[in-house]
Amino acid sequence: MSLMTMIVKMSEGLGKTCAIFFLTVLFSLPLGMIVALLRMSKNKIVSAVTRFFITILRGTPLMLQLLAVTYGPYYLFGAGVARNKLIPVVIAFSINYAAYFAEIYRGGIESIPVGQYEAATVLGYSKFQTFMRIILPQVVKRIMPSVTNEIVTLVKDTSMAFTVSYQEMFTIGKQIANSQTSFMPFLVAGVFYYVFNLIVDRVMGRIEKRLDYYQ
Amino acid sequence: MAETTKNETTAILEIRALQKSFGALSVLKDISLDVEPGNVVSIIGPSGSGKSTLLRCATFLETADGGDILYDGQYAVKQGVYASKADLAKFRTRFGLVFQNFNLFPHYSVMKNISEAPLLHGQDKAEVQEYAMSLLKKMGLEGKENAYPCQLSGGQQQRVAIARALALKPEILFFDEPTSALDPELTGEVLKVIRQLAEEKMTMVVVTHEMPFARAVSNRVIFMDGGVIVEQGDPEAVFGDPQQERTKQFLRNYQR
Repeated sequence: MSLMTMIVKMSEGLGKTCAIFFLTVLFSLPLGMIVALLRMSKNKIVSAVTRFFITILRGTPLMLQLLAVTYGPYYLFGAGVARNKLIPVVIAFSINYAAYFAEIYRGGIESIPVGQYEAATVLGYSKFQTFMRIILPQVVKRIMPSVTNEIVTLVKDTSMAFTVSYQEMFTIGKQIANSQTSFMPFLVAGVFYYVFNLIVDRVMGRIEKRLDYYQ
Repeated sequence: MAETTKNETTAILEIRALQKSFGALSVLKDISLDVEPGNVVSIIGPSGSGKSTLLRCATFLETADGGDILYDGQYAVKQGVYASKADLAKFRTRFGLVFQNFNLFPHYSVMKNISEAPLLHGQDKAEVQEYAMSLLKKMGLEGKENAYPCQLSGGQQQRVAIARALALKPEILFFDEPTSALDPELTGEVLKVIRQLAEEKMTMVVVTHEMPFARAVSNRVIFMDGGVIVEQGDPEAVFGDPQQERTKQFLRNYQR
């Protein structure tokens, strides 16, 4: 098989790689905020339960979580395995990444000086207005570098979908590598991820720059 | 608003037998004070005397354990029981607070810092902006409306914070050590603005370590120590001829 054919074949899986990536970003970013708020809840039970789930999600391999979400329903309830594996894959990725984002958000929220809340309260901002207008924009700026880190990792982590044979780019590459006994597909995959992350880096850098208008 | 009102008084702020403890530490023990319209009351005293806690209780940032707080004769707090959330929100529109550390919103321009709260309260945009501009002029900050707090000196930031508090047209303005975070050089410009407000008969309560300022500007000086008001009265009396040994000792230490 020529290099060109390999690239073309693997490119066909690139759409699915992008689907995992964008859907995970789309779901995990807001979900992470919900998890962070639950984690910081004044209700001790809510916060303890959330904390427990975060330790599970961060303390076990993503690969295991992928397998659990994809095949768990079959082994547990005898339910069928999802025909479109994108669904369990995106669910597993979103939940896993939400746990990481939640901790990043929490760190960001807790780093905002209490004086910001007090000033807003005295000026008559409601709790919701204070969070949305005063706290959140400052949090976003502070956490951008950490979020970029996670997103760069996510690009590479999409390759883990091969464990449930979802036909994304890396899974195809791995199959070609096996059938052709060639290392070439892995190199191609490496270049794909690298270029993908160059773009991510550029975009995130631009967002960070846009937030640079104050200290 | 609050059902129980009391009309024989003209004080904007009345505090009666206010108590506050942090755990076992009693920070305010039975504090009472009135602030009449147009008056400037300075609160002096050593660190940990409860001055800031008193202001924080008056502005509902801390919850008092007992006593009364009345604005315009209406109970915000009656024997340690707070009015409803909605009523407290209405009481908040009556006062402003200027913090030691300014607490400006760093992601907002000067104009937005000043104008957002009145806009959220539903005031007309053009009027709010016009009033904000006039406040900036008064604060000596013309042309700074588009600057961000990080581009301003500490003294300028504090003056923006004063403008921000004034934008809501409060009946009474509280200052919690407004110059303690400033270089001596920048202290003067902030004190000048407060002095100007005093001349315009703005009702103010100022917690401060600036003794000459307190003496010159206040109608009344309160000396606090250990959570109680040790002495209060006319500034010339308190500074010139203090009656309590503790007051004398404190003022002596200050002059050294």
